[in-house]
Amino acid sequence: MRKLIAFFRRFRVFVVFIVLQLIALGSYFSVLSYPRSRFFNTSSAITGTFFTWENDILKYISLDEQNKSLQKENVALSKKNPAYFISVDPKTAIIEDTIKKLAFERIPAQVINSSYSYKNNYFTIDAGSEKGIKRKMGVVSPSGVIGIVYDISKHYSVVKSILTSSINISAYIGKSNAHGLIKYQEIDPRRVSLTGISNDIRIKRGAQVLARGSGGYFPKGTLIGKVEKTEEIEGKPLWNITVRLDQDMRKLSAVYVIKNIFHQELNDIEKEYEQLK
Amino acid sequence: MNTITKNIIRLIIFVLAQGLIFGQMELGNGIHPMIYPLFIIMLPFDTRPIMLMFLAFLAGLGVDFFMNTFGLHASAAVLTAYIRPELYRLFSPRDGYDTFMQPTINEIGFKWFIQVSTIMVLFHHLWFFILEYFKWSAWDEILKNTVFSAILTLIIFIVLQILFFKKPKTV
Repeated sequence: MRKLIAFFRRFRVFVVFIVLQLIALGSYFSVLSYPRSRFFNTSSAITGTFFTWENDILKYISLDEQNKSLQKENVALSKKNPAYFISVDPKTAIIEDTIKKLAFERIPAQVINSSYSYKNNYFTIDAGSEKGIKRKMGVVSPSGVIGIVYDISKHYSVVKSILTSSINISAYIGKSNAHGLIKYQEIDPRRVSLTGISNDIRIKRGAQVLARGSGGYFPKGTLIGKVEKTEEIEGKPLWNITVRLDQDMRKLSAVYVIKNIFHQELNDIEKEYEQLK
Repeated sequence: MNTITKNIIRLIIFVLAQGLIFGQMELGNGIHPMIYPLFIIMLPFDTRPIMLMFLAFLAGLGVDFFMNTFGLHASAAVLTAYIRPELYRLFSPRDGYDTFMQPTINEIGFKWFIQVSTIMVLFHHLWFFILEYFKWSAWDEILKNTVFSAILTLIIFIVLQILFFKKPKTV
């Protein structure tokens, strides 16, 4: 026993070093392989407050640009407003709709901290469980899909950005309906790649890439980006498609969290079939 | 102001500066300036190794809070603190360090500071990027990020030292 104590006394600097490394790396790697740590992130109240202050000051700089993108969105939305339509057939003028039900709600939020140049990028938004946000909800900006909620606290949430290597958002190409998975190649924050599409399907440059809505994160048809380049993967009958994101991930500000009202129902029915997950 | 309070305030300022200013710079090309290793370099010469590692751990943890890196900075900071005593012994002047002196450019000289901080920053950044990428095939990215970030970090170290840690006027 005494020898053991003597041993630890001799190597105590090294032992402390190892213990501290185990704490830090344990936390880091456990987060990488999904289970979350409540402790080390900006959803905690202190840093969240700091970032809110910072954002309060800095948001004025990009106000112009944001106004424009919100205006554009308003125009697009107003085209869907029934009040803007003139009825041609009197039977369809009734708006009380029992065939369609509202399936997605959007919760507005502000991005208060973000990164885009790391291998795995996350950003923090100023809305949390108090506003009804739950883990694994989709997050969109006015111009497209940007991420999935990763961790929440009462007033803040951390969102896994589309620029994360394990993001795997399921997407399809407009018109052709061929679908694959969105992955981030860790090089360019403007581009992601779409994998898993067989190379006998013809793909046009500039075709729209849209979210497929699997898992119920996003409404089907939410914009992601446009096809920029297609390359064949050597030795595999698959395309490697480079997609240019519609949203510049370096300029995030006003975003919406997508709440799927029927998420529980979708989960319950898909739970039984292993291959759908 | 005694040394303990001074260093605690310094710790808070370095963490805030890293989290709110230097960590938010997105320069592209894998350049990430990290200034908090300067806090570890500038701790007094007679700090015990274990204390050194705890303070570095706290600083790294603080930065992790801001950057959503979940322990990556803490790990790199602890490594830097662990090699510091050995490194300082290697570069020590012939008759040892004067415990009244601080490890800054003004008090101990430009050459010493550059040598020591280059080695510490390279260790810190290399460890950081190895863990961030964590695969062999990304060795070129790791080296590129380490070298470019280290150059910028060192320039920032020197500027900070010149601006904020002037020699106190002697009476």
